[in-house]
Amino acid sequence: MEENGGKVRILIEKATNSTAAEVDPRFLKAIKSVVRHSDSELRLAAETLMDLMKRDHSQVRYLTLLIIDELFMRSKLFRTIVVENLDQLLSLSVGFRRNYPLPAPQAVAAAMRKKAIEFLEKWNSSFGVHYRQIRLGFDYLKYTLRLQFPNLQANAARIQQERREREMRTKEILLNKFETLKENFSSIKEEIQSTVDEIVECLEIVRDKGESLMPGPLDVEDEEFEGFHSSELRQIRLDSLKEGEKIHESAENKVVFDTLRELYKLLVSKHMVSVQEWISVLIRVELADNRSRDSMLKELIDTRNRLQSTKKKCMESGCALPDPTKNDREEEEDFWEEGKIESTGIGSSSQPDELKGVLSAGSTCAKVKSDASESGDARTEFNDPLGRLGGEAESSSLRTKLLAEAPSVRTKLLAEAPSIEWSSFLDNWGSRVVLANQRGLELDNHWGRVDPDAVIPAKKIAELNLHSTVYKEDRDQIQPCRAPLRKGGLCQRSESSVCPFHGPIVPRDDEGNPIYQGTPTSETTVDLGADLAEQLAKQAVKNVRDRDNEESRKRKMDKHSQKRAKLAKIREHNEAVLKDAALASTSRSAVIGEDVERTRNKKETLASMLRKKVTTKDRLAQKLLNTRTSEATVRQLSLGEDTNYREAFPNQW
Amino acid sequence: MWREISGRETGQTRPSSFHNRVKSNRTASLQLSNHKDIVSPHRGSINSLQVDLTEGRYLLSAASDASAAVFDIQRATDFQGGGGGIIAKHRCLFSVDKHHETGHKYAVSSAIWYPVDTGLFVTGSYDHYIKVWDTNSTQVVMNFKMPAKVYRTAMSPVATSHMLIAAGTEDVQVRLCDISSGAFAHTLSGHRVMFGVGDGGELMILVTADGVMTVEWSTSNEWVLVTGGCDGAIRFWDIRRAGCYLVLDQSKSQLGRRPPILPRSVLNKCSSSKALSVGQSVAPKSRVQQKRNAAGNGIKQAPASRAPTKGPQKQRLHPGMLSIQDRATAHYGAVTGLKVTDDGMYLLSAGSDSRIRLWDCESGHNTLVNFETVRLQTSKPIQLATTDDSILAFVPCMTAVKAFDIWSGKNLLTFRGHYESVNCCWFSSKDQELYTGGNDRQILVWSPSRLISDEMDTGPTGDRDNWSD
Repeated sequence: MEENGGKVRILIEKATNSTAAEVDPRFLKAIKSVVRHSDSELRLAAETLMDLMKRDHSQVRYLTLLIIDELFMRSKLFRTIVVENLDQLLSLSVGFRRNYPLPAPQAVAAAMRKKAIEFLEKWNSSFGVHYRQIRLGFDYLKYTLRLQFPNLQANAARIQQERREREMRTKEILLNKFETLKENFSSIKEEIQSTVDEIVECLEIVRDKGESLMPGPLDVEDEEFEGFHSSELRQIRLDSLKEGEKIHESAENKVVFDTLRELYKLLVSKHMVSVQEWISVLIRVELADNRSRDSMLKELIDTRNRLQSTKKKCMESGCALPDPTKNDREEEEDFWEEGKIESTGIGSSSQPDELKGVLSAGSTCAKVKSDASESGDARTEFNDPLGRLGGEAESSSLRTKLLAEAPSVRTKLLAEAPSIEWSSFLDNWGSRVVLANQRGLELDNHWGRVDPDAVIPAKKIAELNLHSTVYKEDRDQIQPCRAPLRKGGLCQRSESSVCPFHGPIVPRDDEGNPIYQGTPTSETTVDLGADLAEQLAKQAVKNVRDRDNEESRKRKMDKHSQKRAKLAKIREHNEAVLKDAALASTSRSAVIGEDVERTRNKKETLASMLRKKVTTKDRLAQKLLNTRTSEATVRQLSLGEDTNYREAFPNQW
Repeated sequence: MWREISGRETGQTRPSSFHNRVKSNRTASLQLSNHKDIVSPHRGSINSLQVDLTEGRYLLSAASDASAAVFDIQRATDFQGGGGGIIAKHRCLFSVDKHHETGHKYAVSSAIWYPVDTGLFVTGSYDHYIKVWDTNSTQVVMNFKMPAKVYRTAMSPVATSHMLIAAGTEDVQVRLCDISSGAFAHTLSGHRVMFGVGDGGELMILVTADGVMTVEWSTSNEWVLVTGGCDGAIRFWDIRRAGCYLVLDQSKSQLGRRPPILPRSVLNKCSSSKALSVGQSVAPKSRVQQKRNAAGNGIKQAPASRAPTKGPQKQRLHPGMLSIQDRATAHYGAVTGLKVTDDGMYLLSAGSDSRIRLWDCESGHNTLVNFETVRLQTSKPIQLATTDDSILAFVPCMTAVKAFDIWSGKNLLTFRGHYESVNCCWFSSKDQELYTGGNDRQILVWSPSRLISDEMDTGPTGDRDNWSD
């Protein structure tokens, strides 16, 4: 039991010996589990905690307080023990006694005070009924000292109340809406119905006209064609057919189209939206009698479905296309975009018009196709994938020429261009100035007034954009080993220097024999055998000649070498001296740096929290308020006064 | 407990001893009561508390916000708390404060019940008035104008032939106010103005208050009054005679030896100097000076001590008044609290020197019981309490109240609950409950711990262990 007691004490002391803002949850868990199983432990824990609360360090007290709260909320025995000395605990944590202020550091002390008050309120609300002491402490702090309690519970209750009220209000609004809907339901329905009817009628009118335009046998012909062409082409054909089915606006049916368009707009922008709204209202509203609501909901859903189907019909028939002009513009846009992509590839195109013409041939095939769908010869032309239009032959050849030319220009430029790794600075590539406050964040009214025209100067930008490139060695191709294998073939293993099976990689010929460079080794001489004598003779002659040459050279070089040796010696000495100096300096500075690093990296301790930070003010004060300075100032001032006095009363001193 | 009851049943235990045993058991287990709250209407510190002596039911409190209030401590006014109201709240039956047309203007320092019934109570205030109130009509029925702030009022609990209110005020003279006539019956002079700091020798206790801080009637003799002054003296007065008949001396402690029979009546000078000579070893410096003064018999009085007698210094005093010259002190500094035990044999005194002394009333000797006090409040009079069997003494020690064994001075219990200094306490021997009042405006009830059966019915929303892991 005795050593166990030590355990909880040690645990608590360890848990509180930290600079963190929270107790380590593992320690907390350990303390709880230890304390839970024995009352004596709990008593000891309470005693230890109270002792720690008396420590002259706010951080320790703070962590202790957190542990106390954890145990307080859980154990009855702990409560009864702590409550006995609640006034002490409160004075140590809240610091309401003037002669016992909370210890340093101030920031933690303030946090502890806040926490303690919060805890007291919590304890009072949950256990105040059972402990007079808690009630007393709470009353004293609240009504006598008039400390500000966070009023968590009251706040929570108020928020709840507010929410309830809001819900009530929304319910009421929904109910009102429902009532109005109930009144207007039939009229709304009628309106929608009439619109739908009109649309259907209009569509019918248009359809009738359109059918007369479409010749019947064309379809049959289509199928014949489809038989022997690739699926892609079939798809294209189907599309074109569909396109052909669409009724196009003409002068005679313009009126119908206009009406249709108007009605469509009405349908989409008004009826669909309102129906959707009503449905949501019906879903959310709460009524005592749900029958009428359900029936209305059903009807509304039906209406919505009908509207949607009508809309779809309109879309399909194509007559509800929002605007013919808009359609054109879209196409234009598409076209332009494609042209741009091409032109970037080419760089600066000198003949944009020509290019556009060329590109239009390629990119707007769909348009051509749709145009062509009406005439038979056009179709045949498209059926042949390789066929070229006579008229277009020239332009397409031009295009190919351009395309062939383009890469060459591009590659030329690319070869010249420096390659830069991608990063965010490319966003402002080439711009001299950058707006400081235009980064996508809404800074206004958030951090006070913001100058939208603030500019980061070019110099700064240049400085910030200064990028370093790391030299990367070009990987040369690793040669395979190419040693002959026993089963035939060459070793294809590619290693940088040594093959694990065949030793160092050396250049080999096609059969895998190493190609020797320089003098042949003894191995080769054994191999050659017959030519041995000749070889030796040759070698001997060569050796002699070499030796002669060497000797003559040596003589020539001797003088040089002597001189060089001297120089080398001097250089060596210099280098040694420099190296020593460098080593000494670096070693010392390195040690110092290390030391600094160590202190900085050292875990922040409780003592370090107490240490006061030396501020500029302190330093100034130290400089200005020492005795010598103040005396000098006084002397200076009095000197001035003295002279004044002497001048004023020259006969009196 | 049950064994004792069965002992009582079979007649092994005598009724009175059984009664006493239960009582002392209950007293020994006093703790802050969670089931009895006195809702204090006061907005100032509580200065005095008294439960009436006849019924033991009504608690009278006096507070610094010029108010006095009466509580019924037997029947609660309302209940609070979950599970059938486990907290009984006692609100005041009535209170008189500044807004009362004849109320006190300044702090009420003392409020006492008329000892015979609860129809009257007496309040003394810093506004120099002592008022006698009719409880039923809450009107002032009598008014005594005192020369200075009233510190303490007292009425004799055993008086049958007089109705005197003894008043200790900022003035050195103790006045007795007669309710039956509405006039001052006596003026008891003997206490001196607090002597200067230098005069106290090595003592540097500086008491700003002056006069008589506490008065107490004897519980055995209706004519005997005990007063404790800021000069550190405790004087015993027989109100039928002139002058005080006994001045307690802290250094006179030889219990066994009775003083000679003659000295007081025959040779006053002799007795006083003799009494003083006993304790010279304790505080030689002050003693010497006092002795010199005493030897001079009033001729060479210290300039600071104004003699209350108006006549010329050399005039021969009335033999009964000679004890005026006795400069013996019971405490260094002021005497802040007095309490005579219920049998009237012993006197408990507290002083601003943070000492509690127990005196033998008969001989006036210091019993030299060492009470383990830490610190007492020095600036205000404090109200002590004892149990009726004279076993425990309750003493306010700053923010706590301590229970001492009277005969050994051991600290048996400490009642911590107040957040500021405690001024007064009252022990109701009928219920074995302790009431304490302090500067934090609270009146706390300390009651014996309840039986286990009571503890069980705290309801389902009880106070339990709540381990989550």
